[in-house]
Amino acid sequence: MSGGSFFWSAGWARFRKNPRAMAGAATILALYLVAILAPVLTPYDPVSHGDLPEMRHQPPSREHLLGTDKFGRDVMTRMLYGSRISLTVSFLAVTISVVLGSIVGAVAGYTGGIVDAVMMRMVDALMSIPRLFLLLTCIALFSRSLLLVTILLGATGWMGTARLVRGQILSLKSREFVSAAEALGAGSGRIVLRHLIPNALTVIIVSATLRIGLIILGEAALSFLGLGVPPPTPSWGQMVYEGREVLLDAWWVSTFPGLAIVVTVVAYNLLGDGLRDSFDPVQFT
Amino acid sequence: MPEELLKIEDLRTVFRTEAGTARAVDGVGFTVGRGETVGLVGESGCGKSVTALSIMRLVTDPPGRIEGGSILFEGRDLLGLSEKEMRKVRGNEISIIFQEPLSSLNPVFTCGEQIREAVALHQKLGRRASKKKAIEMLRLVRIPDPEKRYGSYPHQMSGGMRQRVMIAMALSCQPKLLIADEPSTALDVSVQAQIIELLAELSAGRDMAVLLITHDLAVVAQIANRVVVMYAGAVVEESPVVELFDSPAHPYTKGLIDSLPRLGQRLERLPMIPGNVPDPFDLPEGCRFSDRCRARFEKCATEPPLFDLSGGRLARCWLCEGGGG
Amino acid sequence: MSILAAKGLKKYYRSQGGYFLRGRQFVRAVDGVDIELKKGMTLGLVGESGCGKSTLARLLLRLEEPTAGTLEIDGTDFLALRGGELRRARRKIQMIFQDPYSSLNPRLTAGSTIAEGIKIHKLARGAGVERRVVELLDKVGLPRAAYSRYPHEFSGGQRQRIGIARALAVEPDIIVADEPVSALDVSVQAQVINLLADLQSDLGLTYLFVAHDLGIVEHVSDRISVMYLGRIVESGPAVELFSLPLHPYTEGLLASIPSAKPGDRVRVAISGDVPSPVDIPAGCAFHTRCPKAFDHCSTETPQLREVSPGRYTACWLHVD
Repeated sequence: MSGGSFFWSAGWARFRKNPRAMAGAATILALYLVAILAPVLTPYDPVSHGDLPEMRHQPPSREHLLGTDKFGRDVMTRMLYGSRISLTVSFLAVTISVVLGSIVGAVAGYTGGIVDAVMMRMVDALMSIPRLFLLLTCIALFSRSLLLVTILLGATGWMGTARLVRGQILSLKSREFVSAAEALGAGSGRIVLRHLIPNALTVIIVSATLRIGLIILGEAALSFLGLGVPPPTPSWGQMVYEGREVLLDAWWVSTFPGLAIVVTVVAYNLLGDGLRDSFDPVQFT
Repeated sequence: MPEELLKIEDLRTVFRTEAGTARAVDGVGFTVGRGETVGLVGESGCGKSVTALSIMRLVTDPPGRIEGGSILFEGRDLLGLSEKEMRKVRGNEISIIFQEPLSSLNPVFTCGEQIREAVALHQKLGRRASKKKAIEMLRLVRIPDPEKRYGSYPHQMSGGMRQRVMIAMALSCQPKLLIADEPSTALDVSVQAQIIELLAELSAGRDMAVLLITHDLAVVAQIANRVVVMYAGAVVEESPVVELFDSPAHPYTKGLIDSLPRLGQRLERLPMIPGNVPDPFDLPEGCRFSDRCRARFEKCATEPPLFDLSGGRLARCWLCEGGGG
Repeated sequence: MSILAAKGLKKYYRSQGGYFLRGRQFVRAVDGVDIELKKGMTLGLVGESGCGKSTLARLLLRLEEPTAGTLEIDGTDFLALRGGELRRARRKIQMIFQDPYSSLNPRLTAGSTIAEGIKIHKLARGAGVERRVVELLDKVGLPRAAYSRYPHEFSGGQRQRIGIARALAVEPDIIVADEPVSALDVSVQAQVINLLADLQSDLGLTYLFVAHDLGIVEHVSDRISVMYLGRIVESGPAVELFSLPLHPYTEGLLASIPSAKPGDRVRVAISGDVPSPVDIPAGCAFHTRCPKAFDHCSTETPQLREVSPGRYTACWLHVD
């Protein structure tokens, strides 16, 4: 699509001057690097058990920088590999929810009338069901798997995006350039794809970034309830869950993955806030 | 010439943003006499509204900043006052009304209540007395059925009525100077005339000076005694109103007057000024109007001073050098 | 020759809360308007805020569907067209908008904005599109460099020129200009008006020029219609309407225009404010503000009728 290069470059210039946003972006970049380079960064295996009983619950030491868990596995290694799960699951789930939410929101907002009313009441109904309840029910119905957790996290989180996108589309629809396109004989597809969505894009991206944090927390919560990613695959939530019984004796098993969750969520929120401040279309109209 | 009430000298207000520094008001000076109505005229971005906000010390800082000059009001420099002293001036001696009255009124209180509050605050009156006074103010600005209208909320009133309420509020403290920033621009044609007439009557009746800020020379012709024309942050011409319209000295003023529609004179082509208003972030070198001026010559590459043409007339144009018109 | 003819156009909106409160309430934005545009001529449409002039403009382009009435453009029933047929026919009538900021998509360059209509109607292909856009930029007095710039890089007047080029790109017969200069600086207004006049004589365009004050339309219009609260109250040749207005409202509007003569104070010719279109006064809608109103005016609505050749007014003063 032509158009918008100015827009992005001006926003990027603002973004670069925002230290908190840059810190968030750098942290996330580092996390992705760590996830990719996990096998290089650690000599241990994340899944296989240690042979000797005395390897269990070792406090942090030179060999095991963040200690070991109840099976004698290196906590740092599991955290490094766990970042792959957290980052992949959250990224895919957010993509699913943003695409779904944008389609629903754009169709409802552009079509208007009865279609809009019916779709938005459905969204309201879905939003009124507690999310955790929905997740638990679905997980109980199907067998637990990484893919299922991802899809469920995505499929239960799109309603907020749908409302947001609908609001944007409604306000854009009344702008004169949309009337002008209609008067030129542009079809609905052209109006939506060329005039409405590009102008709503920044809002969608910002909301997706802020939502990733929530999804990481959701995955952690599910794992903590023992319903997330099935073991022995390491995920941060799973690790916090496994360490909860020995919190007082072997605090490192839960604490470090817990910190990783906090850092990641904060980093994504900083990035999201930074993106909003830099690219908010309100500043341009 | 009436006694001086307001005297602005070399006022400089800048806005610093990511896009650069805009010299919005760049060495502006003029006076307003007691009871006099002065029109401050110019197009968007010429700095006329920023001048008004600077007088009231209401420029948002950052990005805006008053960098220099003086604003003498009855001999006191407003720029030297503390914020607390300035609040007193704002309430009691200078009032301002804006283009869009809806955004200046509090939507959750009735219009009457808002006037009453202003009256009570400035005239130190009790509840009953201030309500009576507020209704009197509503009557003064010609709001029909003021007792009933006292209880109306801003959204229940039309634009013209709201502007009257704003005027009533501004007058409640009996200011010596009323700054009216485009008071009739947002209103319907038939209502504009009513508001202008109201302003003229009120200022004459209470010996109040008015600084009328507008882009519309025709409005100024109606009620101003003197006119100050601004272009790109600077005063380009100052003159008593009759002389300004009879023989404008600056080519910009002449262009503005020519482009006014004159009823009953159908023209094939409207007289126009070519080009666009300069970007305040990137002001042209030399005379700021030179790139749009038909009369430009070599000298225009350096910025002209304000030449004194006698008879209270000033013009910033090399054509007026040596007092020639 | 008539190129556009609308008869009995109406647009009612349901006002908020109308479902439950006090039965149904309607905003009668346009309430039975006949309009005819003659080929190559300009009709000025004048009225204050809330009179329905912008709604009427949007009805003529079918940006809104009328509640009732007929609309014929160049001999075809415009209201009967559907889908692809309608999109193809839209070429004939284009609009220039009031707000030079909201009328351009901030994410598209001037070039893409102007090219859009050419691409939709396949009026040129490949490099031909770009050639045509450059030609249009020339025509509206913009430099070629404007092609790849974004709306925020232009001044209000230049943006308005881009909007004009966009409308011209599909080679329309009719252009509806909705307050095209009221958001512009005084010194730039005349430029845009002169440009529109030049384009009309070059391309033989037909204009409907919508404005809120009579001062602007006098120069551009052959005929003028004056609207008040959804209806046309007077219509006639521009010169005659200015020299001898028939309707008291037209007379008042003319008197309200401030003249450029110092000290020549406008006399307040119309008192009060425009009533809300939700609550239009019974009888003649203007009788609440009319200095010449008499008993009959508040009971029965006067219809627009021909008083002398070519001159129409809806006023009881002009009914024998």
